[in-house]
Amino acid sequence: MSETVTARPPEPLATQRSRRGRSWAGLTRQYGAGVLLVLLFAYNALFTRNFLSFQTLLDVQLRQAAPVAIVALGMALVIAVAGIDLSVGSVMAIAGQVGALTLLAGVGPGLAILLALLTAAVCGIFNGTLVVRYGVQPIIATLILFIAGRGIAQLLSEGRLTGFRNPSFQFLGLGRIAGIPVPVVLMIVIAAVLWFVVRYTGYGRTLLATGGNPNAARLSGVRTGRVMMAAYVTCSVLAGLVGLVVIGITSASDANNVGLGIELDAIAAVAVSGTPLTGGRISVIGTLVGAVMLRLLQNTLIAQGAPRELAQIVTGVVIVVALFLQRRSR
Amino acid sequence: MRVRTTAALAVLMAAALSAAGCSNDASMPGQGGGPAAPAAPSADCPLASAPDPGNSAPPANVPASTGAPKLAAKDTYRVAFSQNASNNPWRLAETASMQAEAQRLGYQLTVTDANNEQAKQIQDIKGLIAQRPDALFMAPITEQLGNVVVEAAHAGIPVFLLDRDVDTTAAKPGEDYVTVVVSDFVQQGRRAAWAMAQATGGNATIIELEGTTGSSPAIDRKKGFDESITQCPGMRVVVSQSADFTRAEGQSVTETLLQSHPDATAIYAHNDEMALGAISAIRAAGKVPGQDIKIVSIDGSKDALTAVDAGELYATVESNPRFGPKAFETMQQYAQQGQVPVQLVLEDRLFNRENAAQNIAEAY
Repeated sequence: MSETVTARPPEPLATQRSRRGRSWAGLTRQYGAGVLLVLLFAYNALFTRNFLSFQTLLDVQLRQAAPVAIVALGMALVIAVAGIDLSVGSVMAIAGQVGALTLLAGVGPGLAILLALLTAAVCGIFNGTLVVRYGVQPIIATLILFIAGRGIAQLLSEGRLTGFRNPSFQFLGLGRIAGIPVPVVLMIVIAAVLWFVVRYTGYGRTLLATGGNPNAARLSGVRTGRVMMAAYVTCSVLAGLVGLVVIGITSASDANNVGLGIELDAIAAVAVSGTPLTGGRISVIGTLVGAVMLRLLQNTLIAQGAPRELAQIVTGVVIVVALFLQRRSR
Repeated sequence: MRVRTTAALAVLMAAALSAAGCSNDASMPGQGGGPAAPAAPSADCPLASAPDPGNSAPPANVPASTGAPKLAAKDTYRVAFSQNASNNPWRLAETASMQAEAQRLGYQLTVTDANNEQAKQIQDIKGLIAQRPDALFMAPITEQLGNVVVEAAHAGIPVFLLDRDVDTTAAKPGEDYVTVVVSDFVQQGRRAAWAMAQATGGNATIIELEGTTGSSPAIDRKKGFDESITQCPGMRVVVSQSADFTRAEGQSVTETLLQSHPDATAIYAHNDEMALGAISAIRAAGKVPGQDIKIVSIDGSKDALTAVDAGELYATVESNPRFGPKAFETMQQYAQQGQVPVQLVLEDRLFNRENAAQNIAEAY
């Protein structure tokens, strides 16, 4: 069973099955990032102290991977419709700032969260409109908000850190459900919903059809504009949610730094899952695995006291290795 | 064939990881062996019983500014300040301090903000030169602003640099500019080391959270601290990692490091924001910040003073953003005496539980 859902069956089912049954190199094609995750896990289990405790795995590794993973899931949707969203980090900053400011202005935590998510949705509509309606290339369209959005967030914050203390509002970042940190719960729930939608719903099929061949999809009656718009809005709302998670964890909205560079981490997580950026494909679990793997890699290097520069280089090498593992058996 | 290449890649990666791990071998378990260290001052740690090293002495053998444009002694002045960015609380506090002091003295002050762009700051300064102020203050964004400083000098305007220097081969101190007022980051690191010795009695297994790699405060604060703790054999830094001066990074890096270095008893953060992140990470790990793990940082921000007062942060060494009083005092002195030393150091305070509460209100 292939987890990567694709619009174009590349080969007859029989060949696919026999190939996958044959060698583990066939498996790495699907799960290159997964193989690296297993290796990293094994390395840490052997050489990093206290790694193999349930608490560490849950509270450190998974919780830290959750923000990037959730953003990457939204990114995977946009990439599935042959787009890209560079503005996710700025949307995080805006949503966080709106949430913090409305909370401090005295509205309830629930309403503050809602307003922040609505603001994020507006950002998504802005991106989607540029792409769908005006045919701007996604990389350019979202670059606009990438640049301007950070400025908006900084204007809102006046360059200051907006600090707050509110357990209900910070539940998204600090809370626990049945002992599991809320960010991890969110990550799993969102991934499950997305996996279901992509696999079993009409939207999932039109999503991949739109990304695979927009003209064919349109001619067969798919309202491709709406499908793409929904992908951009979902991606922005997820980014906004992560913005709230992040500021909840630190008890302060830092418009200058929240989400800085996360778009590249998210794109990397999608890329190591073997999803081509040309659209028509999505791998929900692969993206999740990719995000967790990249975070674990960074943490491994941090825990070993390796300098940041080295961590960046190793991350680059690992992305190459993951892609190579996947290409090997194509 | 395929399997072999894949396996080779895996081995390669494992090798790369263990190479990265090598630097850390010294901190593996077995060294810290004994029971938990007592907080009483350790006999072999002079730092733990020494007084606060305080501010550094004024720079010695500094020549006086004799060749710079002169400034007439007047009752009131029209001055300008070129700020390089306003995107962080420290810079906002610095600008506010300049404005407040100018207002107090009844001087007319024009402020420009370069928005963190060098080209914009050069334009800003050229614009200010055209307005012919009596004196020009600037917080240069990088050392590369020497040429525009020379331009101001040629226009007969005395320039006072604040918090950063320019390339002294392009602009000569005491000739092209009057003086530079800076913070002594190395001394801040030394005082943090002293505070750490007080907090831990000279026995500490320290995690160091560094600032942005390559920035001068990160380099100097590390230098001052690391050099000072060599006086105490019981104090050692087991791991030192950059967390980019931000709270979120301080939090996630600390979480990771607490897991791999569970024997750590102290954290030294190069700024308050990382320390505040570390405090939430310590709490998340089920430990008590300030008791299980002592934390010392640098900056003296409002949030940090609140944490000091709550006993979570042991101390924070001020990195004073209030350049206003010193800047204008230096300017007046220059107008009256015709010369000042070409380098001046701003005084910093040390905030601990004794004085944090009374300073929270006026902290930035």
